[in-house]
Amino acid sequence: MALEEGEDRGDRRFTTAARDLLGGTRERLGSGGDGDAIMGYLFCLPNVAVFSLFLLGPVLYAFWISFQQWSILQNSGTWVGLSNYAEVLTPLPVTAEGLNLVVFTDPSANLFWWSLKTTLVYAIGTVPLQIYGGLAVALMLDTRVRFKKAYRAAYFMPVMLSGAASAVMWRWFLSADGVVNNLLPTFLEHNWAGNPSYALGGVMLMAIWGGIGSNMIFFLAGLQNIPQELYEAARIDGASAWHRFRHVTWPNLGNTNLFVIVMAVISAFQVFGIALVFSEGGPYYATTTTVLLIYQRAFEEGKMGVGAAMAFILFLIIFAFSYYQYRHHQSGEIEY
Amino acid sequence: MDGGRSAVGSPTEPRRGRRGGSLMARSSYEYPGYERSGASYWTKTTLLYAVVTLGALWMTLPFWWTITTSLSQNPTAASVSFIPEAVTIQHFVTLWERPDIMLVRWFLNTMIFAGAVTTFNLAFDSLAGYALAKLDFVGRDKLFLLFMSTMMIPGMVTLIPVYLLLVELGWVNTYQGLIAPLIANPFGIFLLRQHFKSLPSALGDAAKIDGCNEFQTFYKVYLPMAKPALATLGIFTFMGAWNNFQWPLIIAGEQNMYTLPIALFAVRNQYFAEWGLMMAAALIIVAPVLIAFLAAQNYFIRGMSLSGMKG
Repeated sequence: MALEEGEDRGDRRFTTAARDLLGGTRERLGSGGDGDAIMGYLFCLPNVAVFSLFLLGPVLYAFWISFQQWSILQNSGTWVGLSNYAEVLTPLPVTAEGLNLVVFTDPSANLFWWSLKTTLVYAIGTVPLQIYGGLAVALMLDTRVRFKKAYRAAYFMPVMLSGAASAVMWRWFLSADGVVNNLLPTFLEHNWAGNPSYALGGVMLMAIWGGIGSNMIFFLAGLQNIPQELYEAARIDGASAWHRFRHVTWPNLGNTNLFVIVMAVISAFQVFGIALVFSEGGPYYATTTTVLLIYQRAFEEGKMGVGAAMAFILFLIIFAFSYYQYRHHQSGEIEY
Repeated sequence: MDGGRSAVGSPTEPRRGRRGGSLMARSSYEYPGYERSGASYWTKTTLLYAVVTLGALWMTLPFWWTITTSLSQNPTAASVSFIPEAVTIQHFVTLWERPDIMLVRWFLNTMIFAGAVTTFNLAFDSLAGYALAKLDFVGRDKLFLLFMSTMMIPGMVTLIPVYLLLVELGWVNTYQGLIAPLIANPFGIFLLRQHFKSLPSALGDAAKIDGCNEFQTFYKVYLPMAKPALATLGIFTFMGAWNNFQWPLIIAGEQNMYTLPIALFAVRNQYFAEWGLMMAAALIIVAPVLIAFLAAQNYFIRGMSLSGMKG
């Protein structure tokens, strides 16, 4: 960011110089600061309109809806205070009598806590493998490998797939008599989509498959930006390959790392389409993630208020995580 | 940031980074003690290629299985693994002929949806990107920050209120309902702003001396120079809309408004275990994107790596 501000200043200095050179021309042409201002607002207007109508406004509207009992027929709500939040959150995992962890293990106790646990398991199981799988591939392809472009294309192919298409494909490959079981040794064969213990594993496998390619691209771009002199200097000081990675590559990938982690976690917490198409939240709620639950409550059962309340709780969790990551990253930033 | 800026150029022009052209990084083997021979070198190289190739197979085999399944008469795990048996195009013919599968309509819906979203995005984002890069007005940098911060809003929070808004407008099950919420995108503004910033302001000043007004300066001078960035953003936006599942699922409730991913989901529920048919349907969605990717690989990869340069 510091660099960018520098450019900004340079750019402005350049413009000012040009204006000095032009003397009064600008005034005469009537395109001075005021003209700039009007055109500037005019040019930004479509985006401001779309963002306030479809992004910022709706966030406030969603907050309001979460306190309403919504009637689909009249498309209006009646104020019910916090009762939507109460419906979503009770029974709480922590009560006066102590911990009540059954909400995490039994979907019939409270589906929201169960779905949060499912989402968390999904995030913990997929995010590290997507990110560090991507980093590993990027490091391997950043060396002098032949057919680099073909390899890169191969790893990138799953990224371009629609979630719906990929879920339908993997449902077939992972079915009881599908291709994957055919290749696996007998003791690893599972009915991936039909067994509550393994269905989430199937979704995670598919997500890891689709997530490595984009992270690989981010890390390849990050690796390109590391000055080669740093490696030269490290070599002269006798650093081994591991030390060059640990003390040159890794610290220099800090920004890429932050971005990749935040994006991967945000999208993991919002996993929806692949879980819906793969197994429709089942079997026995095994793949009911939080956004899938929101979808079912709001759009299948018409409980918009309850859906909005759940969405807001999830929003707070995502926001808290991103903020923590950002602060944590700032404290560990390096300066040269 | 600097890398991001220089990378916005045409994908065909050589990369200006330290690794391009004559500034190619020195590989390990140019240093003493890292000679390109010996048992250790060969073990390492073989291992590297083995791992990379295995990974690449894992990434690409599912595509091959999809093709072989869609071409098999009675697909079973054994018959589709590597070479299909009893090749037939019957599943594609079935998709075409079943009266409840409106293949052409769904394909057109998806084209209209993705095409309109892309067009609006390019128009709106280039206007805003230009203003934020080249015009001077009060609150410009704050506005840019505001645009960027909307990127942090998770899509599922706005899903319910936007749907209810469109119900109020009577836009459910219409093209405008499908398209409207997606016509602006902060990432596009960021990308184009960076690109316009990299172009010299003197061009605009010269154009104004020649009598161009502000809009003509933008449209006739700067916009043509942003073509590579526009192409990157366009391809990326089109692909995103083509694959979008969540929004069309909610707003396109009736069969005649389905886009292809939604149609695939509906067809899956109806013809559940007919895997040959399912894979043929999946292939119809995947094939256009895949062909476009193989034809313009650099634009796709550039778009992806630029979306990682925001921070």
